[in-house]
Amino acid sequence: MRFQDAAPDARAVVYAGIQADPLVARAATLLADASLEQRILARAAMNGMSTDPVVWRSMFPRLFGPSNGAGPERDRSEAILEVALAVAERGEQVRSQVRGAIVESLTELLVRRRSGIAAPGPSGATVRRERRILFDGVRAEIHPYDVTVEAPGASEAIDCKWGARGINADVLHQLDDARTHAADEDESLAASLVVFDARRSCDVRLARQTAPHERTRIVSLETLDELAR
Amino acid sequence: METQSIVSVADAITAASAAYDALAELAEDVEDEWSYVTDLADAWRERLAEVADARGHEPAGDGVAEAVAILSAEVGAIDDPHRAIDWLSTFPQVLLVAVGENP
Repeated sequence: MRFQDAAPDARAVVYAGIQADPLVARAATLLADASLEQRILARAAMNGMSTDPVVWRSMFPRLFGPSNGAGPERDRSEAILEVALAVAERGEQVRSQVRGAIVESLTELLVRRRSGIAAPGPSGATVRRERRILFDGVRAEIHPYDVTVEAPGASEAIDCKWGARGINADVLHQLDDARTHAADEDESLAASLVVFDARRSCDVRLARQTAPHERTRIVSLETLDELAR
Repeated sequence: METQSIVSVADAITAASAAYDALAELAEDVEDEWSYVTDLADAWRERLAEVADARGHEPAGDGVAEAVAILSAEVGAIDDPHRAIDWLSTFPQVLLVAVGENP
């Protein structure tokens, strides 16, 4: 099993530009320490119709109501709302791409918090983006994995989706194939799918899928912090 | 139910149901996703019914009536069925956290 940078094709070049957008990094940094309700706020506002912050403050009374006065949590809610509306104000196609890049960047940030990754040594793990995984005698997948953890005996392939609707046969097959090909080489490779949506919605989507996913870890909006463990 | 008359958690869920039903109807326009849309809406209606059964008698809380009105207006402005599918998941999450429930 070997990891390899994705080919710098046209898609990769365009997407690298989106990933490098400072808005993506700012959103991911804020969401990494956010509560579930703050993450739901981000999900709603980034795909909302209104870009008036007053609307969103009223829609989330437990974040912005009088019971949640001045303080770091209120400040974080305001900052998340501001960045989410900045995403929403992009054009429809661009904001869809930016949202996807935010989920990937957030995933990378959380995974980097795992012990052993924060302070890499000679045998420490590395976290990478847009990597392909190659196996002997197996044709390489065209699409790279969004995030990989590359460590002897503890590697992981992670794909990311904005919403449960993004769960499809292709991504489930690709993740499960990687895991089984690794096992064929006596390597350990965990497969995870991060979905910035509620577990209930993911379960509905998964119930319709015949592609293998029993051994793919589904990380939903409620369990994002598990990525750091 | 008018949002001005929202007093309890059950009132809030009942008042939001019309907007959710309209959202589901719009989302059904995506024919390839019709089954998913109906299953998704049913799953969230079931969750909302659970909360109404368990905590329906409790006070809705400060700001919930306005939150339901604004949430309903927000999804009422959606005219893209693909965005409606995404909001079929988002809407109940926003409603549930407004009444102090985890989705």
